[in-house]
Amino acid sequence: MNLFSVALKNLARKKVRTALTVGGVAIAIAVLVSLWGFDTGYQRSLNNDIDKMGYQVLVTAKGCPYEAATLMLQGGGGLRYMNEDVYKRISGDARIDKITPQLVATAYDPGKQSGRGGISLYMGIADSYLTLKPWSKFKSGKWFSDENALEAIMGYEVAEYEQRSVGDKILIPGRNEILTVVGIFERNGTQDDGIVFLPLKVAQKIFEVPDKLTGIGIKLKDMAQLSKFEEDLYNEPGIQIISLAQVKGTILNLVSSAKAMTNSVALIAVIIAVIGVVNTILMSVFERTSEIGVMKAIGASRLDIFRIIWVETTFICVFGGVLGNIMALLGGKTIEYILKSVLPYAPKGHLVVITPHILTLSFFGAVIMGLVAGLYPAFRASSMKPIEAIRKGE
Amino acid sequence: MENKSQISTILIATLILCFVCSVSFAAIGCELNDPDRDIQKIFPQSTGYKTDYFTIQEKGGEKLKKEVEEKLGDAFDPIYESLDVPYSYYTILKGKDVIGYVHGVNQKGTYGTLQIILATDPDGKIMGFYYQKVSSPEALKFRDKAFTDKFIGLTLEDFYKYGDPNGKIAAIKDPSQKSQEDFKATIRGTKKNLILLDTFLLNKKHEGSYKGVRNDEYK
Repeated sequence: MNLFSVALKNLARKKVRTALTVGGVAIAIAVLVSLWGFDTGYQRSLNNDIDKMGYQVLVTAKGCPYEAATLMLQGGGGLRYMNEDVYKRISGDARIDKITPQLVATAYDPGKQSGRGGISLYMGIADSYLTLKPWSKFKSGKWFSDENALEAIMGYEVAEYEQRSVGDKILIPGRNEILTVVGIFERNGTQDDGIVFLPLKVAQKIFEVPDKLTGIGIKLKDMAQLSKFEEDLYNEPGIQIISLAQVKGTILNLVSSAKAMTNSVALIAVIIAVIGVVNTILMSVFERTSEIGVMKAIGASRLDIFRIIWVETTFICVFGGVLGNIMALLGGKTIEYILKSVLPYAPKGHLVVITPHILTLSFFGAVIMGLVAGLYPAFRASSMKPIEAIRKGE
Repeated sequence: MENKSQISTILIATLILCFVCSVSFAAIGCELNDPDRDIQKIFPQSTGYKTDYFTIQEKGGEKLKKEVEEKLGDAFDPIYESLDVPYSYYTILKGKDVIGYVHGVNQKGTYGTLQIILATDPDGKIMGFYYQKVSSPEALKFRDKAFTDKFIGLTLEDFYKYGDPNGKIAAIKDPSQKSQEDFKATIRGTKKNLILLDTFLLNKKHEGSYKGVRNDEYK
């Protein structure tokens, strides 16, 4: 009988206890794998979201972020405006590859949420918008017929939600303006899917902000010029420059803080699992004191005993690791659903991406966990003196 | 100072991004916004509810669609009333007894989706009617209790007799001045709602009344 079958046989003696210990390890590993999967998935989705915004720099009006956020969340306009002249001045810069003006506007829709009201989002855009987003394709219809036309292009999801097709009307609540839908974008997995787009001039007129913008999206010819470009624009009065790389960094920093906490919890879970494993194996060693004594008396070396106990511990952790990986793979969707409902900002796409790399890493992590957890019980077992062990066992 | 300004700038962008992304929309099925709260409001005596999801696809496919269209007297929108649209049904319980159903449908209106929610007794008689969502310049008139209460007590049979000038539906007047299409859409949505309820949950209890009305028409 070889070492592995002896170890397996020993574990099978107390099936419930072994199963519970394996379960504890599995849960700890599943939490760990899910967290790593979240880390990978969130970064990937966020990169995708930001890349699909189409620009690297966003110019907005200066203002207090807290005030703006509060007003926006309360349903007011809340957005800061800058003069369209800024766009005209900036657009002449030779370093710019593509540039587009935007006017984001919100309207309070009393018909939403069973008559309790909610916010609808609109964006005034110019012809240049599509040059920054070449992946935006029309599912049906086409671009606005004129910059002053009372027309709208709808994102895929908002069109689906409002059951609009090309030629249908939409109402801008609160403004009582009726627009004709001329186009519907294909789903592109970004925030554009939920937005109603209007010609910029029409949006300025309807929302009573003539010659005003909320943002200017810019893509540079050479990204290496970004710092100098930002520096130059800081001299423009009343505006602020947002590099989307910084936005990405800020969001990731915010998530990192939360991640540090959850990682700590996962680490505690792993430590508890290790303690559980040590405890189980120690109990098993104490229960088998006389047996170990007999084994030594008939010729088993210290190393033999050490290896048997060590392999038992490693088996528990390996089984737990495999089970934990399976649990994480099966529960990934559920975790993603919970995260999306809890996180203040969840990018589109899969938030939990469990890669083969993560699975391999967690598996070997479990093996190492087993090897470490087994050291002390194996040492205790191998240190027993045969006569004393047999006597104690009696 | 510059750092502080940069942090503010980044925060603004982050908040805008959060806001923009939170205003995305969900699937095209019509579910209650807050089932626990809404059901308690409609059926205060209820002790619980269970939710079922059905699609025409799984309950009979193209054949069932044709049957529903025939009863409805109108074809389904090929894009927004496709076979795989999920319909959610809330079966309202008091202890172990079923005391009613709540079901909503999305109906295409003139300016956007109308979400029509019906509460019925176990036989399919309307006990409550309201719009979860309505986009119309005259939305308030449609939401007016004086109008919505007119649907209470109606059954699918009344809707099958829609064309009857002396029928109960004919007695319901359009509350709007400029949104006649939305009124018609409301009647269509309510009738569709009741037909689907009858098909999915009531084991076609009202089939006889449909055949009766149709035979009358052929006489």
